[in-house]
Formats: sequence, structure tokens, C-alpha cells
Amino acid sequence: MAFVDYYQILGLDKNADDKAIKNAYRKLARKYHPDLNPNDKEAQKKFQELNEANEVLSDPEKRKKYDKYGKDWQHSEEFERARQARSQAGGQEGQWYGGSSEGFSDFFESMFGSGFGGGRQARFRGQDYQAEIHLGLRDAYETHKQTLTVNGKNIRITVPAGVENGQTIKIAGHGGPGSNGGPNGDLYITFSVGADEKFRRSGNDLHLKADLDLYTAVLGGELVVETLSGKVKLPVKPETQNGSVVRLKGKGFPVYKQDGQFGDLYVTFDVKIPTNLTDRQKELFTELSKS
Amino acid sequence: MENDQLIAIEVFCASYDVEYAFVESLQEHDLIETVIVGDARFLQVPQLNRIERIIRLHHELDINLEGIEAIQGLLSRIEHLDREIATLRNRLQFYEPGL
Repeated sequence: MAFVDYYQILGLDKNADDKAIKNAYRKLARKYHPDLNPNDKEAQKKFQELNEANEVLSDPEKRKKYDKYGKDWQHSEEFERARQARSQAGGQEGQWYGGSSEGFSDFFESMFGSGFGGGRQARFRGQDYQAEIHLGLRDAYETHKQTLTVNGKNIRITVPAGVENGQTIKIAGHGGPGSNGGPNGDLYITFSVGADEKFRRSGNDLHLKADLDLYTAVLGGELVVETLSGKVKLPVKPETQNGSVVRLKGKGFPVYKQDGQFGDLYVTFDVKIPTNLTDRQKELFTELSKS
Repeated sequence: MENDQLIAIEVFCASYDVEYAFVESLQEHDLIETVIVGDARFLQVPQLNRIERIIRLHHELDINLEGIEAIQGLLSRIEHLDREIATLRNRLQFYEPGL
């Protein structure tokens, strides 16, 4: 557990008066407030530090204690007494995200306990939680149930087929508990859908490269290709060129929350030139080249 | 009348410790929309996140409603740009799967 220099966090010297503390906090809070820096974890962390520093330095009693014992926090006996006294006082304040003391440093909790001082008793929604689920492309192909653990609680959710990489869904009421009887926050889940070795995704369409032997490319025939819903037999036209593309309608990715609708699968032919030819085969190719 | 999607403004004000006039001023600045049912005025539950953010900006950071209006506009733009980046990143990943 490291000592936390609250004066440094607020950019103040030890003689700063109440007005200077308030101004410094306001100025920095405007810069790092989570509402002004959505999805910025660094700003969120910085704001928590500012809150903690302000909580201590703007309260004369806490500031006095901090100034006296701050650097010698290891003398836990006195801190423990202070903590007990603090926890008996109780009380929760409506700070940002519902007054939770979550995110306060060990140093703070060791000196002052986990509760806040008095203040506005407004009901506030609980903190919104963020979570990330990593899926393979094939996992995102089918609707399935998945359990995730958020803040020690298991939540079972349905992952709809066709979910996009980077897409965020909201699970209402599964965030942090509200304060003073306020509603729970929400849980926001962002999906990270990884790339697949064979299939590449573009929206609802899939793209696949299929090897085609020279003879089938020249003379035509059939080719069995893999799709995400099973193998299909694909007719190959005579004189198919290398790099040509065919579209398999409805064999692509499911459309998000549109049951039974699918994108298309685009198959690009990669014509393979035969290797290790026998003398006879070389003769035939030579003959062919002269015809 | 109160249902899952509507909260009476008086109830909201009592719960969030804000003045009725404050909510009215939010509406005057087009920061929120209210619904009138019979004689009573209501807030829509899906707007709660937005209203809470406004309250925090106003009370915690001392930002006036004109400032909040500007911030809301910029946050909407950020949200739009974030979505656009995600879409473009997905398209780019198509050409460079390692990204």
C-alpha cells in the first residue's frame, strides 16, 4: 500500500486554503469527469484520484488527520481507531455514480474507512458497469447463451447471432446498486469478435478463398466448398479465371436480430498450377501451347 | 398515472433532490423532453441516464445549462464518431485481419 500525495494530485502546496482546494478540484474535475470523457479509463482513474483527494482535503477533520499522519500511515493502530470511529458514524454521500466508495485507494480506506462523509442524500442510479466478451467468428454465427462474471456475480445472457465486432449491448439493471433506494445501474457489454482463419467478414457478408485445380478451372466441373452452415457443391464454369468470384446467396452471416435473414458468401477462386509434372504431362502442355 | 416508462416529475425531483424549476429549465433548453398525460407531466425512463448526467455536470462541475447544451452536442458527435470508427475498423480488418 503506497502513500498517496493528495496535494500533488490537486497540484497544490500544503498551505493551500479552502478556496484554492475547491478551485483546483473544480478545474481538474472538469477536465477528467467521466461524463466528459466517455470510455476513457485513464480519465476515470484520474477522476477517482481527484475525488479522493478532494474528499480528504476539503474536510477539515480529515485534512488535519492526513497532514498529521499521512506519511506515517504504517502506524496503523491510530488509523484503526480512526477507522472504527468513522465506520460507526456511517452515512453515504451522493457523489458521482451513486456515491459508491468503489475505486478509492487502500491508503484512503486504511485511514478513513470506506464510507463518505455527510452530504446530499439524493437517490442516484447505481454505477454503470462495462464488460467485454470475446467471441470467435463462428461463435457469433449462432445465437447462444453465455455466462459472465461481473463484480463477483454470474450473469447469463443471450448473445444474438450476427453480433458485430465492437458492438455494445445494454443489460438494464445489472450495474451497481443505486444509492438511497435509487435504481441499479446498467451493464454494458461490448463484443470483440475475432478473425477467422478461413472466412473474412464484411458486415453480413462472408468471403472465402477456394483452391481450384487447373483442370476444373479450364474444363469446368464441381467444387465442394465449406460454408458456416455446412459444405455445399458449387458448379464451376469452364474457363474460370483465377481470382474470379461467385456469390452464394444467403450463405453469409446472420443479420443481427433478423431471424432467418443472412448475408451472402463470396467465393474467390484461387487456381492452382500443377507442380511436379511428369515428362508426359510436360509434353502435353507443350503440345497444347502450340495448338 | 405512472408506468414503467414514465416517471412523474414531482417524484423525480423528490428522488434526485432537484427543484421542479430545474427540470422545467432543462426542457426550455431542449435538453430533455417531457410527456403530458392528463394534468400531469412526466419524464421518460430511457432519458434518465441523460438527465442524471446533466445533474452531475450542473451540480458537481458548476456548468450552466448553455454549457451543458454545448457538451451534449459534442458528446453526441463523439458517440457518432466512435460508431464510425468501429465500422471503419471492421472494414479495415477485412483487408488486414491482424489489426
